[in-house]
Amino acid sequence: MPRTALSRSCAADGAAAALAPAAAPVPAPAIAPPRDEQRFALVLLLPSLFVLVLTTTVPIAYLLWSSVQRINPAMSFMNGFAGADNYIQMGDDPRFWNSLRLTLVYTGSTVVLQVVIGLALALAIMELRRGQWLARLVAILPIVLAPVVVGLYFRTLILTPTFGMFDYLMVTLGLGSHNWLGDPQLALASVIAIHTWQWTPFSFLVLLAALAALPQDIYEAARMDRASALRRFWHITLPLLRSVIILLVILRLTVALSAFAAIFAATGGGPGTATEILNLYAYRTSFNELQVGYGAALAVTLLAITLTTTAILFRLRRRI
Amino acid sequence: MAAMLRRVSGSALLIVFLICWSFPALWGAVTSFKTERDVLDYPPMSPFHPTLYNYRHILAGPTSIVPNLESSAILTVSTTLITLALAIPAAYALGRLRVPAKRPLGFYVLATQMLPPIGLVIPYFLIFSGAGLLNSYSGLIVVYVSFSLPFAIWLLVSYFEEIPREMEEAALIDRATRLKAMWHVVLPQARGGISVTVVFVFLNAWNEFLFAVVLGGRTVRPVTVAMFDFISLEQTQWGRVSAAALIAMAPVMLLGLLAQKHIVKGLTLGAVKGSGRQ
Repeated sequence: MPRTALSRSCAADGAAAALAPAAAPVPAPAIAPPRDEQRFALVLLLPSLFVLVLTTTVPIAYLLWSSVQRINPAMSFMNGFAGADNYIQMGDDPRFWNSLRLTLVYTGSTVVLQVVIGLALALAIMELRRGQWLARLVAILPIVLAPVVVGLYFRTLILTPTFGMFDYLMVTLGLGSHNWLGDPQLALASVIAIHTWQWTPFSFLVLLAALAALPQDIYEAARMDRASALRRFWHITLPLLRSVIILLVILRLTVALSAFAAIFAATGGGPGTATEILNLYAYRTSFNELQVGYGAALAVTLLAITLTTTAILFRLRRRI
Repeated sequence: MAAMLRRVSGSALLIVFLICWSFPALWGAVTSFKTERDVLDYPPMSPFHPTLYNYRHILAGPTSIVPNLESSAILTVSTTLITLALAIPAAYALGRLRVPAKRPLGFYVLATQMLPPIGLVIPYFLIFSGAGLLNSYSGLIVVYVSFSLPFAIWLLVSYFEEIPREMEEAALIDRATRLKAMWHVVLPQARGGISVTVVFVFLNAWNEFLFAVVLGGRTVRPVTVAMFDFISLEQTQWGRVSAAALIAMAPVMLLGLLAQKHIVKGLTLGAVKGSGRQ
């Protein structure tokens, strides 16, 4: 008897559903499941649920509690209930507003860049008869690397003025040497570029797989009708990919919003606060300045942003 | 004519693509065989005498990263084993059995997967400093399981759903217990999906940084944290940081290559299949 596939009904219908948007949801079984099946399922599920509640939900509850406390490990005699103080403090903290703005710019630009460049690359490399496998192979490399290593790599071998490869390339091209990570004007663009470098291959691979799964006969028909390549892209490819693209945006958005290690390694949030996204600000506040209560309030803000945006995107995805 | 032009520009793009995404790693590999003096030669492409000097330093002596590799291995292997032991039964239930409140349960698992790590590291820091669990393997492994488990469950569910139901039902009609049907009929068929999940759980645990840097310490210090040993404000040890990065990333690069065909499915939590044109 067919049953609703969970992975499809909740998160992610990817390419399969993109191709069959008209498929009606499978009706729930009319007969109640046998009791022993339910009992067996619960026995299998309970250990995981117990661990998940204990290791994620309980800490999040503790985070919420901490965010209304004054917590400073260095001056514990001051600790105590702070009510909404931490949240009120955020209101007139210019560094908070700066970090919020940077978070939006960083997340928005990296997600858009990854999807747009990834799609362009996938479309171009799809056309190739030979060498596709090479692109697919190379694309895996940045994805498996630890972000902290990528950040360090760019900071040292790629972007260091005069010695870094990229800087050398810019000098050769006559664009001059720059302090890519040390100049407040350039640092944000540099960390955005690092994130985009590491994760565009991810979008590329996913979109390439989705493109390869598209039905070819629609394209044949469109070609018969002399539809231009641009029109074919706009009216056939893009609508068919919509579901995969939204999925990609959701996945990339959550990763960009929790980006930490690469920026930490490349700039540490600096120079000054030039690359201090909300994550970095919460980290610095909690573990360098030891204002753990205020740091918790900042983390709660990020949590709220993440959950709200993903909820909106999931809703959007279901409507399609 | 237009088609040819498109193919030529496509090939040109392919070459740019290959350079852009493989060059940094290749350059790092080259640098790891240079002495500190050769690194500073300008222009960067000058010829040099390759040496194993950097590798000797990071594998032996006071700046050895071998203890850190051990730390990474202990954390990663324990996390992978515990996560899989919990996730396989849970994913089997969610993917193949009729569970009450299946959708809310699925959403709960998915939501725990989306939590930003900074939101977890602060409470964990407070709890662990109270309980004396900072700089302990058991503490950090608990945290690693917290972010591996939701991911592993989701990925495994997508594999379990694919396995045809007939054989399992036949086994049940033959009065095999549900446990036996799961163990002898379904699990062997899910072997592929399970190994892909192992690869991804391993990868995420090996590459983790934020929890390790806050909750680790002098003894529990994985290689991602140890990377910073070769960099200070005054001086960067170029050759050593390159060699260390290469060694530290060798396991995950190898796993990435092994799992090449499954990487898209793994990255999208099972939502998008395939490895491009078949």
